[in-house]
Amino acid sequence: MQYEIRIAGHLGPRWANWFDGLTITATDDDNTVLSGSVVDQAALHGLLQKLRDLGLPLISLTQVPDPTTEGPEPRPEGN
Amino acid sequence: MPRPVLLATKFHAPRHRGGVVDRPRLHRRLDLARLPALTLVSAPAGFGKTTLLAEWLDETDRGASARPAWVSLDPRDNDPTLFWSYLVAAVATPVPGVGEEARALLQGSTSSVDAVVTSLLNDLTTTSGEIVLVLDDYHVVESIEVHESVRFLVEHLPSNVHLVLAGRSDPPWPLAGLRARGELLELRGADLRFDAEEAATYFRDAMGLALTGADINVLEARTEGWITALQLAALSMRGRDDIAAFIEGFAGDDRFILDYLVDEVLDRQTPDARDFLLRTCLLSRLSAELCDAVVERDDSKAMLDTLERANLFLVPLDDRRLWYRYHHLFGDVLQARLVDEHPGLQTELHRRASEWHEQHDDRPEAIRHSLAGQDFERVADLVELAVPAMRRSRREATMRTWFEALPADIYTDRPVLAISWIGARMATGQFEGIEDTLDQIEHRVTPGKASTEEMVVVDEVEFARLPAQVAMYRTALALLAGDIATTIDHAEHALELTAANDHHGIGAASALLGLAHWAQGDLEEAQVRYVESIDCFRRSEHHADILGCTRALADIQVARGHLGAASRTLEAGLELARTRGPLRGTADMHAGLADVLYERNDLDAARAHGEASRDLDEHLALPQNAYRWRVALARLLQVEGDRPGALDLLADAELVYDTDFSPSIRPVPAVAARMHLLGGDLDAARRWVAETGIAFDDEPTYRREYEHLTLARVLIARSAAEHDSPALDEAVLLLDRLRTAAETAGRAGSAVEILALRALVHHAAAEPEAATTVLGEALIAAEPEGFVRPFLDEGQPLLDLLQVVARGDTAAVQARRILAAATATSTHLPDRSAATKGTLVDPLSDRELQVVRLLRSELTGPEIARELMVSLNTMRTHTKNIYMKLGVNSRRAAVRRAAELGL
Repeated sequence: MQYEIRIAGHLGPRWANWFDGLTITATDDDNTVLSGSVVDQAALHGLLQKLRDLGLPLISLTQVPDPTTEGPEPRPEGN
Repeated sequence: MPRPVLLATKFHAPRHRGGVVDRPRLHRRLDLARLPALTLVSAPAGFGKTTLLAEWLDETDRGASARPAWVSLDPRDNDPTLFWSYLVAAVATPVPGVGEEARALLQGSTSSVDAVVTSLLNDLTTTSGEIVLVLDDYHVVESIEVHESVRFLVEHLPSNVHLVLAGRSDPPWPLAGLRARGELLELRGADLRFDAEEAATYFRDAMGLALTGADINVLEARTEGWITALQLAALSMRGRDDIAAFIEGFAGDDRFILDYLVDEVLDRQTPDARDFLLRTCLLSRLSAELCDAVVERDDSKAMLDTLERANLFLVPLDDRRLWYRYHHLFGDVLQARLVDEHPGLQTELHRRASEWHEQHDDRPEAIRHSLAGQDFERVADLVELAVPAMRRSRREATMRTWFEALPADIYTDRPVLAISWIGARMATGQFEGIEDTLDQIEHRVTPGKASTEEMVVVDEVEFARLPAQVAMYRTALALLAGDIATTIDHAEHALELTAANDHHGIGAASALLGLAHWAQGDLEEAQVRYVESIDCFRRSEHHADILGCTRALADIQVARGHLGAASRTLEAGLELARTRGPLRGTADMHAGLADVLYERNDLDAARAHGEASRDLDEHLALPQNAYRWRVALARLLQVEGDRPGALDLLADAELVYDTDFSPSIRPVPAVAARMHLLGGDLDAARRWVAETGIAFDDEPTYRREYEHLTLARVLIARSAAEHDSPALDEAVLLLDRLRTAAETAGRAGSAVEILALRALVHHAAAEPEAATTVLGEALIAAEPEGFVRPFLDEGQPLLDLLQVVARGDTAAVQARRILAAATATSTHLPDRSAATKGTLVDPLSDRELQVVRLLRSELTGPEIARELMVSLNTMRTHTKNIYMKLGVNSRRAAVRRAAELGL
């Protein structure tokens, strides 16, 4: 699962290892986006807890399409 | 039995050496006189929650206005046993004597968390004076079971006890109700931030920094009053000449505040101190000795002193400065630095920390470090060795997290670890894949079957028990599947494989064998096995297991007609509960005695024991007791002439029917069918016959004996009601087969009842001589053990027959004795007239009326208690009083009676 987590303020790229290898990008509006693949819901909640434990203000959490696949997965009929 | 080792430092509210700002505005909010049951201090990391509460508690303690109790939680406390061990111990410190029973329950092997909480609440209700219990870092709690139990605690706290939860997130339970009722005080981030005045005081008084009002405003704005950030800023400014330049740089930088400030602080440390900080930040607690081992140096004591003096976020955990921890937020930032600057080093540091903890007998902490360092082989070794002690102290939840954290393939070569994992899964009802794992383990340890070269075994003692354990788990699986023959095979195999000095092992295997033989109707063999298992459990001091076996043994003794022995067995169980209790199963001893005394027609004593069984707390009862005391009291009600009340109670019994693997020897519908017959309701009894599908020509097995004897009564009643019915012939065939079966299997108790019914059949068939002869046989067989009720529970026809026997030559004395008992009973019945009138002698209180209204609803007992905001025990007291005043014995009867009275 690919996720983008947006937090307030600028977090340096040196935090990448702490956040399990997520990509850390500063945005133009003085925020930071952590993005990358998260194994499952448990791992996602673990990440959110790490943000909470550092007092980082959470702005948004979005699931994004997997960049390695083209478009949405084809679905079998009747599902 | 051992219990978890509790760390004294966790009961200690961490206090700082100076550097603390007085916060009267917040202390006023925490006014003791207006403090509700629950206070929530909810704010992000670094907002000064712990400091505020520690200072406030110190103040209330000095003023002797409240007794404080404190627990600093950490992630290990997600194990309910450990969590409540800490909580109970914390409360017992300021309030001696409270929580003694709860502590005993925590050490017992079978009691539930609910029982612990209920017991603690009961104790707290008896205390006076204000008690404040702080649970710091409550956000580490993830266990649903822990949350539920804390929620239950909050909802039932007496008014003099106040719980304060401090954490980084709100507890995951609905708070709106508490809030609406004004029963929740909240201090949140906005309240806790330093305002400009507090910031000024802090810089000036606590840190000795002379800043201008403008400087402070800039710092306040940049940090938004975040206390940790202000502390870091102060540390960065101390001893600087260019404070203005620092403030300007800080204000102009848009980096994450902690990043900026920790860099500033670390840059100002000596390389040595900086290195020390990075290498020790992954320890949850620090001592000089532990740091020496992890950092591989010998001057950690001096370093810790220096860091504490420099106010570097080192929190002392005790007065003697032996243990410290880092301020959580600072520690986290340091750890992020460590993984960024020295990738891979943390693995080595975790290994050293794990080794130190192992050498200092803290296996759980050693395991935590090895798990963090992903050293699974080492984790597996440590877990294998930790299991026996963890199991004894009931830390199953902790063990489960270990087992689940290990990669699945690690179990392949580790049979001892694998069998422990099976134990943990079976304990929580997960049976999937167990059979396969058992096969693999067995294959692995069978000589010559597989190579043993790669097998990893660290606990040789447990390894020696492995074959027996595999057989025991197979026994349990067979029992669950209802396969009695296989259960017996595996249990016998387990017994052969168990070492002679492993008393608990032999006891457990014998108990399962006893259960299987009992289910098969082999009472003699079952009795031998249960006697042996009780003896073994006594030697191994597994007292809670003894009572379960005692109850089974007494049932078997009653079926074999040995009422005296059954009575002694149960009395011994009660004695054990008195001396070694509280024990689960105590209530079952009383219900068993009620049954035995009933058979002997000692009705007052039977009622006393039946009521004792009903009134004991649920945690003192085994699962089957819920229906058994109801059946016992229902039979007494029937004798007293309250058949509707008895049937109501039986209907309740059916709802809670659970035999907990023991054979279903007295199904409640059959008991009810007998009562319908006594009340002349043949139709209801015939409906029972149709529903059970029972027939006179069934195979006469022990399991269905009670039902077949009920059917015999239905047939006798039918023959009297119908003309030309084959019922009487069927009854003859049925009873003769039942008699042969009972006599062959040595069920003397059943035989008495069968003979009495056979006499009734002769009587109905107009064979008076045969009737009195057979009844004489029954009376003589019944006399030595004092059976009386089998003759009195058949109504008038049998009493008439007894009169005939009493005038004859054989068994006349015995018959006269039974008749005398019948007369005594009928004149000794309690006066129920008060309860049948339209008014109550002792009217219900307002609270009791409230409870009665809720009894009409679908709510369960605990739900009603929650609704009324009272403890479960208070709720039970209300119910008991209501039943007494209404002269009823069940919820259903109470509702019916209340309706009759227009309440």
